[in-house]
Amino acid sequence: MSIKTETMTLNMGPQHPSTHGVFRLLVEVDGETITKAEPIMGYLHRGSEKLAENFIYTQFIPYTDRLDYMNAMTNNYVYCAAVEKLLDWEIPERAEYLRVITMELNRIASHLVWWGTYLLDIGALSPFLYAFRDRDHILDLLNEISGARMTFNYHRIGGVKWDAPEGWVDKVKEKVKVLRENINEYDTLVTGNEIFQARTIGVGKLTKEQILNWGISGPLARASGLKIDIRKEEPYSIYDRFDFDIPTQEEGDVYARYKVRIAEMYESLKIIEQACEQIPEGDIIHKKGARIMMIKPPAGEAYTRAEASKGEIGVYAISNGKNKPYRVKLRRPSFVNVAILQDILIGQSIQDLVAIFGSLDIVLGEVDA
Amino acid sequence: MFRLLKGFGVTFNYFRKKNITIQYPDEKVVMPARFRGIHRFFPDKCIVCDLCVKVCPTDVITLTGKKSEENPKKKVIDTYNIDFQGCILCDFCTEVCPTDAIVMTARYNNLSSFNRAEQFKDIHWLSDNHVYGHYEESDPVPEMGERGERK
Repeated sequence: MSIKTETMTLNMGPQHPSTHGVFRLLVEVDGETITKAEPIMGYLHRGSEKLAENFIYTQFIPYTDRLDYMNAMTNNYVYCAAVEKLLDWEIPERAEYLRVITMELNRIASHLVWWGTYLLDIGALSPFLYAFRDRDHILDLLNEISGARMTFNYHRIGGVKWDAPEGWVDKVKEKVKVLRENINEYDTLVTGNEIFQARTIGVGKLTKEQILNWGISGPLARASGLKIDIRKEEPYSIYDRFDFDIPTQEEGDVYARYKVRIAEMYESLKIIEQACEQIPEGDIIHKKGARIMMIKPPAGEAYTRAEASKGEIGVYAISNGKNKPYRVKLRRPSFVNVAILQDILIGQSIQDLVAIFGSLDIVLGEVDA
Repeated sequence: MFRLLKGFGVTFNYFRKKNITIQYPDEKVVMPARFRGIHRFFPDKCIVCDLCVKVCPTDVITLTGKKSEENPKKKVIDTYNIDFQGCILCDFCTEVCPTDAIVMTARYNNLSSFNRAEQFKDIHWLSDNHVYGHYEESDPVPEMGERGERK
């Protein structure tokens, strides 16, 4: 005799610890199997795109910090690069190197936060403490150069705000060595752990077709065997001068995403080391860039994109020749990546929900903008 | 099972290593000189050019000037207020200031209050904020202990 059962609707969030923000997921479960999932967002919506229309160009930079607050340097960069494209400015060499060093340091910090909090989500407490210890090394460095620990507001249209303080580059070189040793430690601590592997291998698989259909980018795409990285494909800033690889995995499961992100941290360390060796002396900002009230690009439109830690971040800016942008459109990687939840969760068991959701690495500031 | 024990090995290894946490209320981290903390205002330097008001993205700065008593052609500052409810400490006001009259200190604590009105800081509060920061002509006041150093 079979028992007739009904599906149950379950609300995950808006206040759920594993979302690291305010995000609601409407899940329909049949027994323990998920039959439908619907992400509901907008709880953190601040209207950043609309705000940009009422600001002079430079004033919007602190607001890009608050999109993906784990990886604010790349957001700073991509917005400044869009305005620079409108202005057609040449950026000083030293400024480009400082931008690359800060962006890559920030990428490692972002991946460390993911590493710590993801393991926290699936039940391992101590990795969180290791990750935040190492993240603090990076935040201290960024604090010294930019004056803030998370909302840096460091890149400017035409360069960077401050030159590196005395001895900062040497400090970065030392910290790179420390970080490389510490990330090795993570492998011993977690990667080979049998419990962790049982929890993640084969869970939440994404195929190449799904990645392309949903427009997924970043580590998620690379874990499914797609070798896409804007730093290599369309080198922005000075990324064509460095020697680094794009780590990829074929499996497309949660464990593959984990491995891609760990490998990416090593690649970022490689880039930082090379940049610290090559960094020249010179100006740090375009000669017109320091007067932040006077920036007035000619009428036109520009799109720039960059590889943030979550995926492809893009800024589309339209200027009508005034000192305020006519329109700023932000392509936020987390917002695009979170949509895959509708597809990836179907047929999975409810126990794997948090393990899959956490592996997407979304930041709600960026989802809702 | 072996890899699990190896992981525990990393943890146990830390028993013989140095402590990296600091006991916050007793010892405080000294922020670097560039740190964008709470503002300090120098009324003598201000030329009432209104640039900080124009550049502020959150519109939290309000100021008024008056005619100088010594030189009627010049203006001097009369009132200067920052509403810290809305301030995002973005540093644009210090960046545009031509005379460095508004600067940022390395102070990051003690702005908490029991009501909103207390977040509204006037010229006296801002000019009395003697904490060191990224500006010259002031004696650095080492208010907080060195990081990791126990008092």
